[in-house]
Amino acid sequence: MLRYTVKRLLQLSVALLGLSLLLFAWFKALPGGPENRLLPENATDRQREALRAALGLDEPVWTQYGEFLGRIVRLDFGSSLSSGRPIATELAERLPATVELSLAAMLIAVGLGIPLGYLAAKRRGTWIDFGTVSGSLLGTCIPIFFLAAMLKVVFAQELGWLPTTFRLTAGADFTEVTGLRVFDGIITGEFDIAWDAVKHLILPAIALSSIPLAVIVRITRASVLDVVGEDYVRTADAKGLKPSTVRGRHVMRNAMLPIATIIGLLLGSLFAGAVLTESVFAFGGIGSFVYQATTERDYPALMGFILVIAVFYVVINLLVDLSYGLLDPRVRVRK
Amino acid sequence: MALLEVEDLRVAFGASTAVDGVSFSVPEGKVVGLVGESGCGKSVTSLAIMGLLPKGRGRKARQPVLAAASEPVGSGLKATAAAPQSIAASGGRSRGGADVNGRAVFDGTDLLSLAPAAMRRRRGKDLAMVFQDPLSSLNPVVPIGRQITEVLERHRGLKGDKASKEAANLLDRVGIPDPTRRLKEYPHQLSGGMRQRVLIAIAVACAPRLLIADEPTTALDVTIQAQILELLKDLVETEGTALLMITHDLGVVAGICDEVNVLYSGRVVESAPVRELFARPTHPYTIGLLGSIPRLDLPIHEPLTPIRGSIADVIRWHDGCAFAPRCDRVAAPCVEGEPALVGAVHAHRCVMAEEVA
Repeated sequence: MLRYTVKRLLQLSVALLGLSLLLFAWFKALPGGPENRLLPENATDRQREALRAALGLDEPVWTQYGEFLGRIVRLDFGSSLSSGRPIATELAERLPATVELSLAAMLIAVGLGIPLGYLAAKRRGTWIDFGTVSGSLLGTCIPIFFLAAMLKVVFAQELGWLPTTFRLTAGADFTEVTGLRVFDGIITGEFDIAWDAVKHLILPAIALSSIPLAVIVRITRASVLDVVGEDYVRTADAKGLKPSTVRGRHVMRNAMLPIATIIGLLLGSLFAGAVLTESVFAFGGIGSFVYQATTERDYPALMGFILVIAVFYVVINLLVDLSYGLLDPRVRVRK
Repeated sequence: MALLEVEDLRVAFGASTAVDGVSFSVPEGKVVGLVGESGCGKSVTSLAIMGLLPKGRGRKARQPVLAAASEPVGSGLKATAAAPQSIAASGGRSRGGADVNGRAVFDGTDLLSLAPAAMRRRRGKDLAMVFQDPLSSLNPVVPIGRQITEVLERHRGLKGDKASKEAANLLDRVGIPDPTRRLKEYPHQLSGGMRQRVLIAIAVACAPRLLIADEPTTALDVTIQAQILELLKDLVETEGTALLMITHDLGVVAGICDEVNVLYSGRVVESAPVRELFARPTHPYTIGLLGSIPRLDLPIHEPLTPIRGSIADVIRWHDGCAFAPRCDRVAAPCVEGEPALVGAVHAHRCVMAEEVA
């Protein structure tokens, strides 16, 4: 298992290096370099040259790439062109909100999706199966921003059950540890803050979970249907084991393999969906930051964002691979 | 009374019949063979006895495309690999579920009428089964030790170290060297023969009175086949376990069985003590089976005699002998109504048997 992990880590660093090269090349190829964004339109060519030199843009490409690599290793993405603050700081402030939201959405998707998918497979051909499958189809069809807005109108504005915006009630006094408000509230003993954060999370998390939930239901259903027809499940039945043992140890352990892969991939894609959901609920994650950086051609900010998301993806992939190793002994590298 | 008495067992998957009134018995401590080609209903019979067929809901199951019930027998002979066969191959796990009728009396209780929970308490304990494909029959993500101890835990109440120790004993009993180390291994780390030994160890873990082996040697090399048969024979002799051996291999029957039942198209067509069957085969199907085996005592260029055609995908016994379309000795009486099983010790289902003999 250790060798397997090390091997995966090595593959991962190669992937990241390739990504940095791609990203660097991409930004080089973009039209309208950053000097045009910083200087007024009537700036002279000499002024442009001077700024290019100051930014290091006149150096040979490989030197620039080396510089670039050196800075991102130190997590120095430069300063935002619009706010002037270090990008690493901006991201660090906003990322926890997005992470918390994505994890909450995933918790709902997994917690509901796997049991529902299992139920649909077990009751295949009945109205339960039909209802679950059509419900999940509906889930993938509804645009997130629409669902988010409807949830907000019905449950927050009309019924008033849950708060409409932000991560905490305004003026709440809390201790910041990791930036994940629910988690922080629990570890610092501020349970009222944790509960307040949960209430603020519910609607955005439900909105964000709709697509992963639908996907997990369908994958679970297909995977369980695949596995229950396997000979080893019949062997387990032939042993006279209790149905719960057959289900847990023999069906679900095998059915989890494809589900784990999908969960990893979905977690990465949740960040994209989070941009929309965050804007509806004014959640203050990286969504608004990215939106602003894109419209204002804030290249360093975008670069920082893309790198962070890429690292997330790669790390999630690593976790999926490792979970595969744990779930399926055949994947482990032979001794 | 025998340990297991199967009486008029019928299994249907929707409108297609897989087993059409099979009766036989397995006496205490004896080895009984159930022989026939693919699709004759032997696997389905064993799964029905074990209660492992998916339950039918009493309504008609959806018909597989190829098995149109109205198809005449003659055309069914050509396109063969249809419904009952594929159902049998997939162990009866078709979508619609099976409707099982008849009786399978085991030690005084009709297994077919037991509630699912009651049947689960007996399965793996009083009667156990060894399956055909040892790789797919073991869970790939669970160590083999756990796959053995779970049955010890369930039926013998053994836990922890006691269960592991007993599992190691069982592996040793079925001839797996270094059993303690093997317990932690996964099925993909074992050879085919070893996997089959593990399945046998699981089956005999609770010292069942009846062991059902469904083609236990089909997926193995010839040398390993001989070892596995030897192991089964040894277990049966020392423990006094009765064995129901399901096979298409007459060599296996000759080597291990005391009594044989030959199945054709969902019915027993001949049953006899093993020596009697090989010495005086009576039903033309049995004669055909024996004629199609290579023999060492015949001249080397003597061609084998195959049976014409192949098994029909729709069972037809009611308006005549189902074997008639493939039989060389077919005559008018063969297609005039259902042939009955005649005889006691050596029984057969052929109206022309006197002429054949």
